Amino acid sequence: MTTAENVTIPGAPGVNPNADAIISIRNLRKWYQVGGGFMGFGDKIFLKAVDDVSFDIERNKTFGLVGESGCGKTTTLKLLLGLEQPTGGQIFYEGEDVSTMTKAGKAEFRRSVQAVFQDPWSSLNPRMRVRSIVGEPLEIATTMTKGQIATRVGDLLSETGLNPYQANLYPHEFSGGQRQRIGIARALALNPKVIALDEPVSALDVSIRAQIMNLLVDLQEEHGLAYLLVAHNLATVRYMCHDMAVMYLGVVQESGETEAIFNNPMHIYTNALVSAALPSHPDIQREEFLLPGEVVSPINPPPGDVFMTRTPLEVDPNHKWANERPPLVEKEPGHWVVDTPWSMAADAGLKVELTGHEGV
Amino acid sequence: MAESTDATVEEKEVSSEAVSVDTDGFGASAASEEVVLDVKELQTHFTTRWGTVKAVDGVSYHVKRGETLGIVGESGSGKSVTALSLMRLVPSPPGNIVGGEVVLNGRNLLDLSEKDMTEVRGGEISMILQDPMQALNPVFSIENQVGEAIKIHQNLKGEALWDKVVDSLRKVRIPAPESRAKDYPHQLSGGMRQRVVGAIGISSAPAVIIADEPTTSLDVTIQAAYLRLLRQIQQEEGVGIIFITHDFGIVAKMCDRVAVMYAGRIVEVADVRTIFNEPLHEYTKALIGSVPKLEEKTGRLPQIEGQPPLLYNLPAGDAFAPRSTLTFTAEDAARRPPLLEVKPDHWVQLSKSSVADYDKYAHLMPAEDEE
Repeated sequence: MTTAENVTIPGAPGVNPNADAIISIRNLRKWYQVGGGFMGFGDKIFLKAVDDVSFDIERNKTFGLVGESGCGKTTTLKLLLGLEQPTGGQIFYEGEDVSTMTKAGKAEFRRSVQAVFQDPWSSLNPRMRVRSIVGEPLEIATTMTKGQIATRVGDLLSETGLNPYQANLYPHEFSGGQRQRIGIARALALNPKVIALDEPVSALDVSIRAQIMNLLVDLQEEHGLAYLLVAHNLATVRYMCHDMAVMYLGVVQESGETEAIFNNPMHIYTNALVSAALPSHPDIQREEFLLPGEVVSPINPPPGDVFMTRTPLEVDPNHKWANERPPLVEKEPGHWVVDTPWSMAADAGLKVELTGHEGV
Repeated sequence: MAESTDATVEEKEVSSEAVSVDTDGFGASAASEEVVLDVKELQTHFTTRWGTVKAVDGVSYHVKRGETLGIVGESGSGKSVTALSLMRLVPSPPGNIVGGEVVLNGRNLLDLSEKDMTEVRGGEISMILQDPMQALNPVFSIENQVGEAIKIHQNLKGEALWDKVVDSLRKVRIPAPESRAKDYPHQLSGGMRQRVVGAIGISSAPAVIIADEPTTSLDVTIQAAYLRLLRQIQQEEGVGIIFITHDFGIVAKMCDRVAVMYAGRIVEVADVRTIFNEPLHEYTKALIGSVPKLEEKTGRLPQIEGQPPLLYNLPAGDAFAPRSTLTFTAEDAARRPPLLEVKPDHWVQLSKSSVADYDKYAHLMPAEDEE
């Protein structure tokens, strides 16, 4: 392990300086050029999928990214996995900047960060037997013999609640929940430290979701895993995550400890999401509010606060934050929010109280 | 814009320019006592090389005017095939409606000729499909697609047709309907396309709309807007809605009554509050209990072990018995459990293997020799 003890990771708004971070993401950017800039002339047009995002994933904890489609949560996950190259910013693994790692260091990083994808119907190769699917990472990244791999695959299948004899079957012979277990077994094969979970239960049947969520929680405890969970279901996030960030148009609008955010959602956007989320009992009828307009295109977003086109409050076009990106501000310990005159739910009278049905 | 931001405002106006805070449409039910759709002992089977798949195996329910009936179940429970059977859209072969009645406004739809059925479909009963993003044809204008159903069912032309199209779009709160009608689907946002599909669904003033998971592919805020819209249309038009879903959050928000399906049969039917507060069947209890709650941080979720059964290989008796955690003997599970009204308007598929309170209701069980 090449942990560089003396490298200091820059602090960032929205990040707890005392966090025991295994992954630190700092000022991460992914801009796609979608037009303009002919032969170096003219203004380039960028789609800013992820713009200046910073957070820490702590050891043995789950960090949740939530937001609507197009908010950049999945792009952030892909950047962490190396499936996309960042336009700017840094990813630190165990205190070391991934972009300046040696080849061996990068390989170690790749082994330590694995993924489980949303759709277990399309994320497993239908032509491969389960033993090849789960054993493939071991073949590629280790020097284990065939016999050792077979034993390890059997262990992984038992650990994820499957039967070792099922190793010879093909993916189509399994139900959705079992397939997701195969995906999890494969992700665990190389003893990773971090697993990126991209909507791991949203494609599954309701009665299977709890099985998979509980399996993930158990594996986290047993192996001390850190998870990055991308989800749009807020109830799943509240159940699984210790810390979370709410993204809108590529920018984190509110972040901090999950309970702090659910107990006191501050940003208008967070409140809009919470108010629109489905209740867990028919006696809970939340006052739901819809933001004016629709999600704007992330192509050339406003230079200032990206949320200002959606706020119901008056925006002063000459205000500093209408022309310059506002930072996250720590409003209460461990709870950060973009604080502009038009972004706070309390100022708009749009605070949502989450109460159980006994309290209604 | 700023004046309408008070959260306590009871508002009625729907403006996309102002924040609209409301609970209207939800909570207050538009249900009446008049039954518009009565499904009796419906059976839809598929013939496959593994045997006969009883996708819908003797299902009965009714929908009242202005009521939303939720049909809840997992994939393979038969909930979508039930809906297709009502429309007589089950592909044949391999599918066949082998028994039962679907009585809509006093007529049994299963007796109608195909020609008459074409008039009923999209007329008296219409459907909002699972993926509204793909339900529109990209090469026809909105006017054309909304107008198609109106042309067939109401025999309108020219000016009258145009007026009706604009009127339908207005009903689903599409801003500037006259100009939107000239647009093509790609020119509209996801939320607006959704509304167009809704406009097609309501354009012929149906008695019943079948909504088959119409919001699964949507973001939460768009989903909330769409559900609210459905509820508002229902109150205005008095239409009965069958909402097919696997999400108990949607049930909690939208439905007046709930039918829970498992392995092609209904295991429990009751008022939505009864289903949440006093469920009797183990499957209903487990389904509700296994969903994480937004309102509080819950401890470890109780989970249902096992998988939903394969429909071509169903156990002869109680299909849920293999996943039930109750104590029972093989004999208790061997009998095919009847759906019985154990309390007023609360029906449950009664068996010792799946109902913890079985002894309380055991006297309701019909004598065994009937089967």
